Amino acid sequence: MQLRILGLLTGLLGLVSALSAQGSKLVVILEEESEKSKYSQFWSDLQDRGFQITYRSPKDTDLSLFLHGEPAYSHLLILPPKSKGLGPQLTPNLLVDFVNQGSNILLALSSEQPVPSAISGLLQELDITLPADRNSVVVDHFNYDTKSADEKHDVLLLPSPKFSKSETKNFFSVDKLIAMPHAVGQVLGNPSPLLASVLNAPSTAYTYNPKEEGELEDVFATGSQISLVSAFQARNSARFTVLGSAEAMEDKWFDASVQSPGAGKKSEKTGNKEFIRKLSAWTFMELGVLRVGEIRHYLNEGAQKGASNRTDVEKLDIDPTIYRIKNDVHYSVEVSEWSNTAWIPFTTPAGDDLQLEFSMLSPFHRLNLKPSSSNGVSTTYTAEFKLPDQHGIFNFFVEYRRPFYTNVEEKRTVTVRHFAHDEWPRSFVISGAYPWIGGIWVTIAGWVAFVALWLYSAPSQPKRDLKASSAGKR
Amino acid sequence: MAAISQGTGSKFFFEGESGRNTRGLLRLIILVTIAAAAVASRLFSVIRFESIIHEFDPWFNFRATKYLVNNGFYNFWDWFDDRTWHPLGRVTGGTLYPGLMVTSGIIYHVLRLLSMPIDIRNICVLLAPAFSGLTAFATYLLTSEMTTSPSAGLLAAAFMGITPGYISRSVAGSYDNEAIAIFLLVFTFYLWIKAVKEGSIMWAGFCALFYGYMVSAWGGYVFITNLLPLHAFVLICMGRFSPRLYVSYTTWYALGTLASMQVPFVGFLPVRSSDHMAALGVFGLLQLVGFTEWVRTQLPSKQFQTLLRGLVLVVFAAAFGFLVLLTVSGTIAPWSGRFYSLWDTAYAKVHIPIIASVSEHQPTAWPAFFFDLNMLIWLFPAGVYMCFRTLKDEHVFIVIYSVLASYFAGVMVRLMLTLTPIVCVAAAMALSNILDIFLVAEQPVEGAQPQANGNPRANGPTTATEKLASAIPDTLRSTKTPVVGIYSYLSKSAMTGAFTAYLLLFVLHCTWVTSNAYSSPSVVLASRLPDGSQHIIDDYREAYYWLRQNTHQTAKVMSWWDYGYQIGGMADRPTLVDNNTWNNTHIATVGKAMSSREEVSYPIMRQHEVDYVLIVFGGLLGYSGDDINKFLWMVRIAEGIWPDEVKERDFFTARGEYRVDEEATPTMKNSLMYKMSYYNYNALFPAGQAQDRVRGAKLPAQGPELSTLEEAFTSENWIIRIYKVKDLDNLGRSHQEAGAFEKGNKRKKSGKRRGARVLRVD
Amino acid sequence: MRIPGILAAALLPLTALAAKKSTGDRFNDYHSKQVSTLASIKIDDVSYGEMTKAPRDYAVAVLLTALDARFGCALCHEFQPEWELLAKSWTKGDKKGESRLVYATLDFADGKQTFQSVGKRTLSSPVLLVFQPTVGPNAKPDGAPNRFDFVTGTDKAEPIHAWISRHLPDSPHPPLVRPINYVKYAVTTTAVLGGVTFLSVAWPYLLPVIQNRNLWAAISLITILLFTSGHMFNHIRKVPYVAGDGKGGLSYFASGFQNQFGLETQIVAAMYGILAFATISLALKVPRMTDPRAQQIAVFVWGGIILGMYSFLLSVFRIKNGGYPFFLPPF
Repeated sequence: MQLRILGLLTGLLGLVSALSAQGSKLVVILEEESEKSKYSQFWSDLQDRGFQITYRSPKDTDLSLFLHGEPAYSHLLILPPKSKGLGPQLTPNLLVDFVNQGSNILLALSSEQPVPSAISGLLQELDITLPADRNSVVVDHFNYDTKSADEKHDVLLLPSPKFSKSETKNFFSVDKLIAMPHAVGQVLGNPSPLLASVLNAPSTAYTYNPKEEGELEDVFATGSQISLVSAFQARNSARFTVLGSAEAMEDKWFDASVQSPGAGKKSEKTGNKEFIRKLSAWTFMELGVLRVGEIRHYLNEGAQKGASNRTDVEKLDIDPTIYRIKNDVHYSVEVSEWSNTAWIPFTTPAGDDLQLEFSMLSPFHRLNLKPSSSNGVSTTYTAEFKLPDQHGIFNFFVEYRRPFYTNVEEKRTVTVRHFAHDEWPRSFVISGAYPWIGGIWVTIAGWVAFVALWLYSAPSQPKRDLKASSAGKR
Repeated sequence: MAAISQGTGSKFFFEGESGRNTRGLLRLIILVTIAAAAVASRLFSVIRFESIIHEFDPWFNFRATKYLVNNGFYNFWDWFDDRTWHPLGRVTGGTLYPGLMVTSGIIYHVLRLLSMPIDIRNICVLLAPAFSGLTAFATYLLTSEMTTSPSAGLLAAAFMGITPGYISRSVAGSYDNEAIAIFLLVFTFYLWIKAVKEGSIMWAGFCALFYGYMVSAWGGYVFITNLLPLHAFVLICMGRFSPRLYVSYTTWYALGTLASMQVPFVGFLPVRSSDHMAALGVFGLLQLVGFTEWVRTQLPSKQFQTLLRGLVLVVFAAAFGFLVLLTVSGTIAPWSGRFYSLWDTAYAKVHIPIIASVSEHQPTAWPAFFFDLNMLIWLFPAGVYMCFRTLKDEHVFIVIYSVLASYFAGVMVRLMLTLTPIVCVAAAMALSNILDIFLVAEQPVEGAQPQANGNPRANGPTTATEKLASAIPDTLRSTKTPVVGIYSYLSKSAMTGAFTAYLLLFVLHCTWVTSNAYSSPSVVLASRLPDGSQHIIDDYREAYYWLRQNTHQTAKVMSWWDYGYQIGGMADRPTLVDNNTWNNTHIATVGKAMSSREEVSYPIMRQHEVDYVLIVFGGLLGYSGDDINKFLWMVRIAEGIWPDEVKERDFFTARGEYRVDEEATPTMKNSLMYKMSYYNYNALFPAGQAQDRVRGAKLPAQGPELSTLEEAFTSENWIIRIYKVKDLDNLGRSHQEAGAFEKGNKRKKSGKRRGARVLRVD
Repeated sequence: MRIPGILAAALLPLTALAAKKSTGDRFNDYHSKQVSTLASIKIDDVSYGEMTKAPRDYAVAVLLTALDARFGCALCHEFQPEWELLAKSWTKGDKKGESRLVYATLDFADGKQTFQSVGKRTLSSPVLLVFQPTVGPNAKPDGAPNRFDFVTGTDKAEPIHAWISRHLPDSPHPPLVRPINYVKYAVTTTAVLGGVTFLSVAWPYLLPVIQNRNLWAAISLITILLFTSGHMFNHIRKVPYVAGDGKGGLSYFASGFQNQFGLETQIVAAMYGILAFATISLALKVPRMTDPRAQQIAVFVWGGIILGMYSFLLSVFRIKNGGYPFFLPPF
């Protein structure tokens, strides 16, 4: 929770400095300076987007991802290391802590260098599996670049990513082919909902280890099961992107022109520049970041009815801690989305809804929140409903988890009490009670009448005695 | 001269009008002294420890009282408590007996009115002793109604004041319903007897009033609700129907039922549940009998009367059958479980384990009786026997009460409380009888034809009773001949001395029992060090204050229900279940969470938003009342709801033993309770030496592992251990995997190589 | 899971050769036997193995019990008729054997090994095993039988019926029908009528007895003594009447505050009774004696009895409660 708040604060700073919603400090891990020049276009692009880039080598002894226990950088970009590991400062545990504290990682792999076991182990934790043999490459004999890899077929040409679910928002669409040279294929674990594949290999691709000769048996993965670019979003919305081929970020592929096999195909420019920009933008929290603003709920009855569109809101009690069963309540939440430069009102993709649960142990209501109003920054989603006929401790619970969007999980706890002794209708209001009320009064009247009759008809005998005695006295 | 004046003085003081005043004054002084003694003998715990609320239920009463005092009566009436039974909450205002809280609330406000601002806690702590004084007085009144000897009442008051049987529930700090309920019980009975004797509507009205108060104070009111009708019924069967009985009973029933229905928790029970049907039935019967009596006085014809009587019988039978029908059809609720388990003693064990699990619902062994009412226990039958001498209506009451109460006390330990008053009364009657005979100066003339006033304290109505006794055709065989009196001073002095000695012994016994057995506030444990000095073990409060100060205001604490009230009262944190066991399923849920594997328990705890888990562990200190010993009850209660998921026998070894050491069953070792109890425990000992001092078992060398919980706090003597429930893993792994990763061993490739590969579908 | 089932079905003939009878026949035999006898099948170790041999396409409910008096299993005896009733009504309700469930009873006397295998050497309560079918439509993968221990003292057929039904979810569950016990009704009615007539005849003679005060006094005193000496505890906890101490002798008083023997309570009750009686005599009888010397003696006799008894009572109580400091001479 604090992490998100921290993120928002840094995000507000970001408004002025960077385009990221989470801060602009980016550290790039690359082994030797010579590497750096390869990616100059990418660096300049990042700098234009306001990132303060620090270049460190994993060998640096004073390299540390943390400062006073807090992450020292908001974003981390790891280029494939030549040596076997990433050194003591980038052990898997540290990287996991880095992610747990809400920072983002963009990890680039390449089949040119064998993948360090530390990294594959880390990915294993995220339920991303790499080929067992360190340097196997994804090849495809139908979608390869005839210019650069005519016989090796290990430079894949892929169309812009598409997603099967219509309501998944596509942040990565480009209009040109994307070149993926010497890519490392990844296989995503089935159950994990935090994982999503950005770019799948075509159905004709397969992984293949150039080292071992002869016919290949027992292929690691084939077809669209191979994910070339996969995105992982932790529960605290920290993002971890695995880019199958680091070379795709190099300048030479930014403005290379490629040609896919087959007759009639002519050479065209790659869409790598745009794709890489979008990918990094998403990873570094420039896209698909949601923010929840003010959350309000109040009694929507009597004096408070329709309080939202009234001016004297401060006079009403907003967010009470206790309601009564069968009350009418009003709930509203403000959601805004970060798009590159500023917070804009968030609107759910078509066919998708923001839902409110009113739950105790299990939901008693699950309602679609309707966008009611929207100012320049955020959309206000509201719902009005009648509380269930069940007292207890309930939660207003809004949960919105979608691929490529940061998670929204907001809980407001309220108590729902029973009817108080003076909140029931009085007996004389209930027509069914008339006989009983009548009975009571009839009884009383009858008793009084009886007493009166009794006293009236008391025997006169003692009276005479009394008179006599009094006469005697006299 | 002086002698004369002194003689006249004594004459003046001890005879005639002024003499009666003197005796009255003496009696008053004695009563006040008795009350003082009663209060004083209940202050051990305050002097030894401090002014603190005891045990479990009192903590809830205390909390409720504070709520009442702070928020006023109506808020208390409509109180919905959202800090217990999370997330269900509890309609507390409607499910408690408000009498106790309201009483101390009133006292509090009255004292403030008198500008004596006393902390509500002290009022709650000292309420029980104060009321014990009143109880002694009520006992005096009741006994004086039974016998004519004035000493009986005082003896009874003294007994009532100091019997352990009553002190056990009324020491300073045990702020429980019984604290005031016993006084109300005795006083209601006194008023009832008064009403039956006088046959006056006023006394019956008072009786109903105090009955209402009793209903608002304690669930045990059902005892009165059934005892009074029984008394009336027996009187009718003995052919002792009288207008006095009719007036007092009908008045009491009508007003009392109305009064009792004012308590929300009782509501319509008096007309809906079987517990109260006896009263209703006897009410109807009285009408019928009264009607026949009236008609008999009107009509001479014999045949018609027999016909009438037959008619009445038929009507009564029909009404009875109708009631039974209603009960069967369910319009009238059947006997409530707790009450029913008194009759069918095997019932609770099978059907309501929660009731059976409570220690004070166990049957009573004879030492407990002797422990609680030393010599009274054998004076008791003698007193009851003497009631048969002049068997008047009130004596019938004593007999019935004695038999019933001794049965109940035999079935349930806690009902010793209802037995104690009648024991005191009966014993006092017996003892006073003896003293009256042996404590007289003048001795009868030998051989003189003894006349009725042989009874020493001659003048006074005893003669009348004796006459009456001899007038009644068949009296007890032991009282056929008239009373002569005791001749020799030797025997007088001997007997007097002996019984004085017994009384002194009784006082010693009571003091000893009170100070040793009944004066420890189970919140603070006291133990003796080798050198004999006292050592206070304060783990409970240590832990509760840790919770209060280190956790969030709304952090939910899961524990077994015994500790719910204390957590609510001392730590002020929401709990899942507590000692008000109104929802068996919820308790069973906690039981299941405690007795299942972590993988099963964790989702349950997530669903109930549990933040902390609190357990009691006595293994280090040898504190036997800990959760591992209560564990089987958790299992049983959980099994009652989920018979397929929790099985009691899985916790027993093949040889049917309940073990915690190496031989413990896997189910036991994997249960959350076991893990929490022994987590890190063997770190205290040299390797392989871990020892459980309660079970006297040597623990496995390898301690249990916890992955979904982390240890948050452990008290000084390890009596209380608190664990924090971990949040879900940030990377969506299971806690076991996450823990393994933290330890640094790599997660194994998830079986990609073998079996059919699962394809990911996006 | 499906596949193994089919495989096993395919293998059936082989096993059938082994068993010289195909499983279908096995069930039909058992079922026909059951329908004919309308009772559970008595089996021993051999037939037990035969019956529960996998693969089987039927379920088996075996009650392991010990009816022989030597084993002193009270619960077994209590439950046996219920068990037979259950088997009977189930078989009646399912003549065609659609539920494919066989009821069998294995007595400890002829099933020692089986009991060993179940892990019961001595039997204090019966054990019910339900073997799920291993092949056929509703087969369960694991061979381990579901087990029901009568630990909670269940001795009624209804819960067992519910339990079995729960464990055989997809097969039909014939309802449990208790036969109406006409004899009982007849007996009760005649008894009631007889009682009424007897009362109406003998009323004049009974009345004085009923109204006799001494009788009632005796009754109430005895009940009070019973209860206050902890009889209900014996009744509920089923404590032994008396136990031997280590050295072959009898120990009359159980050690410990919270337990007691049957005999012990009777001794205590007797002591209470004597004390109470002495008190009564001192209070009521003695002052009515006309002869001074007799009275003197009586006073001292009764007084002495009280003293002795009370001191003995205290000493007994010290046995139960070690730390108890008080005592009276002479004991």
